[in-house]
Amino acid sequence: MTTPALELIGLRKAFGDFVAVDDVSLAVPAGTVFGLLGPNGAGKTTTIRMIMDIIAPDAGEVLLAGRPRRREDLERVGYLPEERGLYRRMTVGDHLAFLGELHGLAHREAVARAGRWLERLGLADRAQRKVEELSKGLQQKVQIAGTLIHEPQLVILDEPFSGLDPINQVLFKDLLAEYRQEGRTILFSTHVMEQAEKLCDSIGLISQGRAVLVGELAEIKRREGSNSYRLVADGPLDRTAGVAGVAEVVVDPRSGDRARLFLAPDADPAAVLRALVGFLAVRDFRSEEPALEEIFVKAVRDAA
Amino acid sequence: MRLDKIRVLARREFLVRVKSKGFWFGILVLPLFLGAVFVIPTLVLSKTKAQLDLVMVDATGRLGDGVAERLGRSREGMGPGAEVALTVVAPEADREEQRRRLDDRLLGEEIDAWLWIDDEALASGEVEYHARNVSNTFTLEILERALSAEVRELRLTEAGYDPQQVASLIEEVELQTIRVSAEGSRREAGEAGFLFAYALFFMLYMVLLIWGQQVLQGVLEEKTSRVVEVIASAARPFDLMMGKLLGIGAAAFTQFSVWMVTLATVTAPAVVGSLAFLPEGLTIPRITVVQVAAVLLFFVLGFFVYSTMFAAVGAAFNNLQEAQQLAFVPTASIILPIFFLLPVINDPASPLAVGLSMVPLLSPILMPLRVAVEMPPLWQIALSALLTGAFIVLMVWVCGRIYRTGILMYGKKPTVRELWRWVRHA
Repeated sequence: MTTPALELIGLRKAFGDFVAVDDVSLAVPAGTVFGLLGPNGAGKTTTIRMIMDIIAPDAGEVLLAGRPRRREDLERVGYLPEERGLYRRMTVGDHLAFLGELHGLAHREAVARAGRWLERLGLADRAQRKVEELSKGLQQKVQIAGTLIHEPQLVILDEPFSGLDPINQVLFKDLLAEYRQEGRTILFSTHVMEQAEKLCDSIGLISQGRAVLVGELAEIKRREGSNSYRLVADGPLDRTAGVAGVAEVVVDPRSGDRARLFLAPDADPAAVLRALVGFLAVRDFRSEEPALEEIFVKAVRDAA
Repeated sequence: MRLDKIRVLARREFLVRVKSKGFWFGILVLPLFLGAVFVIPTLVLSKTKAQLDLVMVDATGRLGDGVAERLGRSREGMGPGAEVALTVVAPEADREEQRRRLDDRLLGEEIDAWLWIDDEALASGEVEYHARNVSNTFTLEILERALSAEVRELRLTEAGYDPQQVASLIEEVELQTIRVSAEGSRREAGEAGFLFAYALFFMLYMVLLIWGQQVLQGVLEEKTSRVVEVIASAARPFDLMMGKLLGIGAAAFTQFSVWMVTLATVTAPAVVGSLAFLPEGLTIPRITVVQVAAVLLFFVLGFFVYSTMFAAVGAAFNNLQEAQQLAFVPTASIILPIFFLLPVINDPASPLAVGLSMVPLLSPILMPLRVAVEMPPLWQIALSALLTGAFIVLMVWVCGRIYRTGILMYGKKPTVRELWRWVRHA
């Protein structure tokens, strides 16, 4: 196996009594898209801030391309924080060039690239405008360009799609797809599971500061999906957990008549169904790959 | 510390400010002000009619010639080109008719004014002045002075005194102020020296405060716009702070040096000599290159002493309202020297003044003040600069720690005790 582009080993951070990140270890394979998943407050941002050396971990290590991270390596990373902004009174062109230079580009090169990015984003005629004169959507475009202007091999994005308007979401996704094609590595955090499901090669699920499930998405789904059943029925769904052969039940809280059943490895699906119809009006029961969200709920429960 | 990062950050700060209109307004405001004070009156005076045509009707028959002679003598005092052409005439039989004709000539702009001295003028001391414009106080005062002197002399003579003798008897004492400095003594109006010291004090005070606030707002802007986190991944907080201080400091220095060079130019003897309009008795103190250099040096030191604190305060808080409370500390430090203003100006070489100008929080303002009044020995300037420099290193260390912790901290307003903890444990 090739050296991971990014590796976290036993990362831990506590704020007072509150442990925000607890012994998180994960590896991001080079050239892949990695999703750092978890609900708000799980510790994703703290993890990313430790990767970016914005806060120091209490314990653990961050490796970049197999070597302990040095501060200088970080300027070759493209970082989009969750809390982001621009200097409002700078012109768009100057701002992009400034971000490029800050990430180690020579002045002339930074100016040239800023021009190319503005061309690409259709903002060339606004290069001399101040950032504050731009609409929010256009400011987001500038922000995205600023993250990528130094053409980083590793891109780290904290909730990149939150707050983006739909046009910029598409733009950003296209850019990331392009980056991945070029063999660059992308790590992004999100609390929207559907998003991660569509974009990621690998994921790390974080809950209450702990990494509860880490691995290749396809592999996780295959593993979890072999014994996963979709149930649509009327009746007391919560009683399904007591049925012999049912290892785990995740009731869909939104519909009230749907649940995900994870059966024990040696269970007989037909026997389970027979037991279910005893107390439920079953309308649908079939083998189906679970959604990431359901896997996540199960993983959190298993970890507890 | 990464110098390349600091350079990129500092250049941004500098350019953003230099590209703003406010900067250029600030840079030009002093030259424009000095221009308004010195140059415009000169221009206006030279543009006003070169010759003032006056007709003086002298019923006493004894004042006219004397006044005309006195006016001729004080011509230099009337500004460039301003000359009075005085025609003395005797009253005619029909005085009312004469007055009417004079008014007509006045309105026809044939003459600029006429004076009416009636028979009782010597006793009453009243003379009429008729003109289209009676607000040219400068000319009026010269006329008044010439008339008064002439009337006084006549009265004394009539009373049996010798005017020459009386003049020498009642002569007033004039204090000749002589400033002694290493470059040799020269006469100079003491008043003007004070004036300059005061002006310099308020200039330093204002500029340091304004640019300190710029630092405070700049740091807060980074925090509130959340741009800081984007920057913080590529540059360490310490570099960010140094870049900000150096960039804004360069802009401040540019502005202030333009001011100082303007001052030095305006007060250069060649320039002062060509200025026609100066209040009587005011000599402008000459500002030497060494003085300018010393003032600029302490301006830079002062900027770093106070602005480092402003940067830390900006980083520690979330918005301007919160920050203003603790911004009181650097603001008060800038105001503090005002309490020592008078003793230092009055006796700039006293042990008190020398001592105070060595105290780092006070030196950036008090040392330039001493320099303005009387050039201190170079070793004192060097020692003061050295002490202030050492203090700046300490401030950068302390404030750098507050900055480092505060700049990425949002949420609750930190207490002073928490700030202290940041300094100790950062």
